[in-house]
Amino acid sequence: MEKVLQINNLSKNYGNIRAIENVSFEVNKGEVYGMLGPNGSGKTTTLAVIMGILNANGGSYEWFEQPFSKFSRRRIGALIETPNFYPYLTLWENLKIVAKIKDADEKDINNALGVANLLKRKHTNFGHLSLGMKQRMSIASVLIGNPEVLILDEPTNGLDPEGFAEVRNIILSQADAGKTIIIASHILDEVEKVCTHVAILKSGDLIANGRVGELLSSEETVFIQTEKPEDLIMSIKESNLAKEVYPSDEDVAVVLNADLNSGDLNKFCFEKGFTLTKIQVRKQSLEDQFLQLVK
Amino acid sequence: MKKLFNLEKIKALSYPPFKTLMIIHFLLFFLVILVVSQLHFTIPGFSIKGLYQFPNIWEFFPWVASWFNIFLTIVLITLVGNEFAYKTFRQNVIDGLDRTDLIKGKLIMILTVALYTFIMVLVAILIFGLIFSKDFSFTIIFENSYLILIYFVQAIGYMTLGLLFAILFRNTALSIILFLVYFPIEGIIRLFFKAEFRAYFPIKIISNLTPRPEFLTMTSEKSYTNASGTSSLDLSEIGIVPENLPLGITVVLAAGYIGFFIALSTILLKRKNL
Repeated sequence: MEKVLQINNLSKNYGNIRAIENVSFEVNKGEVYGMLGPNGSGKTTTLAVIMGILNANGGSYEWFEQPFSKFSRRRIGALIETPNFYPYLTLWENLKIVAKIKDADEKDINNALGVANLLKRKHTNFGHLSLGMKQRMSIASVLIGNPEVLILDEPTNGLDPEGFAEVRNIILSQADAGKTIIIASHILDEVEKVCTHVAILKSGDLIANGRVGELLSSEETVFIQTEKPEDLIMSIKESNLAKEVYPSDEDVAVVLNADLNSGDLNKFCFEKGFTLTKIQVRKQSLEDQFLQLVK
Repeated sequence: MKKLFNLEKIKALSYPPFKTLMIIHFLLFFLVILVVSQLHFTIPGFSIKGLYQFPNIWEFFPWVASWFNIFLTIVLITLVGNEFAYKTFRQNVIDGLDRTDLIKGKLIMILTVALYTFIMVLVAILIFGLIFSKDFSFTIIFENSYLILIYFVQAIGYMTLGLLFAILFRNTALSIILFLVYFPIEGIIRLFFKAEFRAYFPIKIISNLTPRPEFLTMTSEKSYTNASGTSSLDLSEIGIVPENLPLGITVVLAAGYIGFFIALSTILLKRKNL
C-alpha cells in the first residue's frame, strides 16, 4: 500500500492546554479516513498541524513519504475549520487565487464551481453568500487542481439536508475516482456512510484506530436484567463467552463472541444461578458504540 | 515572483478601500503642492516659487510626499491585517504557499506601492519643475535628483515598519493605532538618551531621509549643500550637537532597519501559528 500520510507521536499545546498528545496513525492511498471525536477532541488541531498552519510541539509527520513542503501541499486540497476567503472578492476571483497558488488551470474553476453547484454565483462576492453556500465554496476550492488528497474538516457544517446529501455524494464520487480523503467530523452517520477507516480522538488522545467495520460495526448486543448485575458481569467476564460486557442503564449489555447466540448466554446464566428477568437482542447503534469508546 | 505579484494584484486591486485610499493619497499630494504653489508671500532671501524650481524641487516634493508615506503605510497595514482577519494567510498556506512566500508577497506589494509613489513624485517634480523653473541647464535640472531615490527608500522603510506592526499585532485597528502612537513614543524615548544617540532611532533615521528642506529651516543639519543659496546657522559651530547624521550614513542605517524589520516579520510569521 502506498503511504500518503504518516503521523508519529504528534503533540500540540495551546499554552498550558493540551490539544493533542502522541497521536500516531497512517493513511494509505485510496482510503477514506474519518477522524471522529467530540468537540474539542483535537481533530481540527491535528489537521491544522499536518497542513502546516499550526506548529507542533512534538512528533513528526510526512506526506507522500517525504518531508512536508509547499509542493506536497499543492497535491492536497484542504478545508480546515471554516471557509477562509476574501469577502470582497467574487467566488471566481477567490478561486483564481487558489488556482494560481496551486499552478492549476483556470478551467478548473468552472468545473469546481459546477460540482459545488455554485456556477450561477461565480460573480457574487464571497461575503454575500449564506453559510451553506460558503461551505460549498470551500468544497469547490478543495477540488481546484485535481488534488490527490482531500482534507475536509466538518464538511457538512451549516448545510441543509439536501446540501448534506450533495456533499456526501461529492465525497463518494471523489473516493470512487481513487482519491484519498480525510474527513474530520463528529457526525457518526456521516463517517459511517463515507469512510473506510476511522481514528477516534478523545481529549487529544487517539483512543481507537482501524477499519470502520471493526471499530463501529453494527453488531448484535444482548441486553439482560438480573437481580445481581455486578455479579453477572463478573461471571461473564471470567468466562470466554463475550467480547464485551458492560452495564447499560438497568441492563447488562453483552456483545457475544462470534459463534455464540442469546440461547448460549441464557444457558450460561441459568447454570451460574442467575435468574434473568429480561433478555433482549438488539443491534447496538453507532452512537452507543461511539459513546462507549469515548466514555 | 510573478505568481506572488499576480496574487497581490488580485487581492489589492479588488479591495475597494485600497483603491479609494490610493486615489485619496494621489489627490491629497497634488492638492497640497497645488495650493502651496498658489501662496504668495515673500521673505527676504526666500520665495514660494523657489521651492518649485530646479534643483530645490527635488528636496521639496519628496519632503511633502514623505508626510503621505504614513498614509501609504496605513494602507499596507490594512491589507496585511485583512489577511489575519479573514484567515486568508492560513488558507494561502493550506493551498500551497510557504510562510516566506507570504512575506515575499507583501514585500512585492511594498515595492509596488513605493514605486507608484516614486513615479508620482517624479512626474510631479518634472511637470512643476518645468513650469516654474527659469534655468533649464542639465546640471541645474538634475542637481539633487538623487533625493527622490532616498524618498523611495523612505517609503519602503515606513511600510516595512508597518508590515512588522501588522504581523506583530494581527489586528488592523490596533496595528494602525500603535504605529501612529509609536512616533511620539519614540520621540519621548529619545529624550532620555544623549544627543549623539538620538539620531540612531528607527523613526528618526527613516524620517531624516527626507529632512525638511534646508531653505525652510534656520539650522544646517545636513551635509549636502544648501540648494537655495540662503545662509543658515550651523549649530555645531556654537557647541550644540546636531541630532541628524550625514545623509549617506542615514541611508545606510535606514537600509539596515528595513532589513531588520523584514527579518523580524519573517521570524514572527514563521514561529507563530496562523
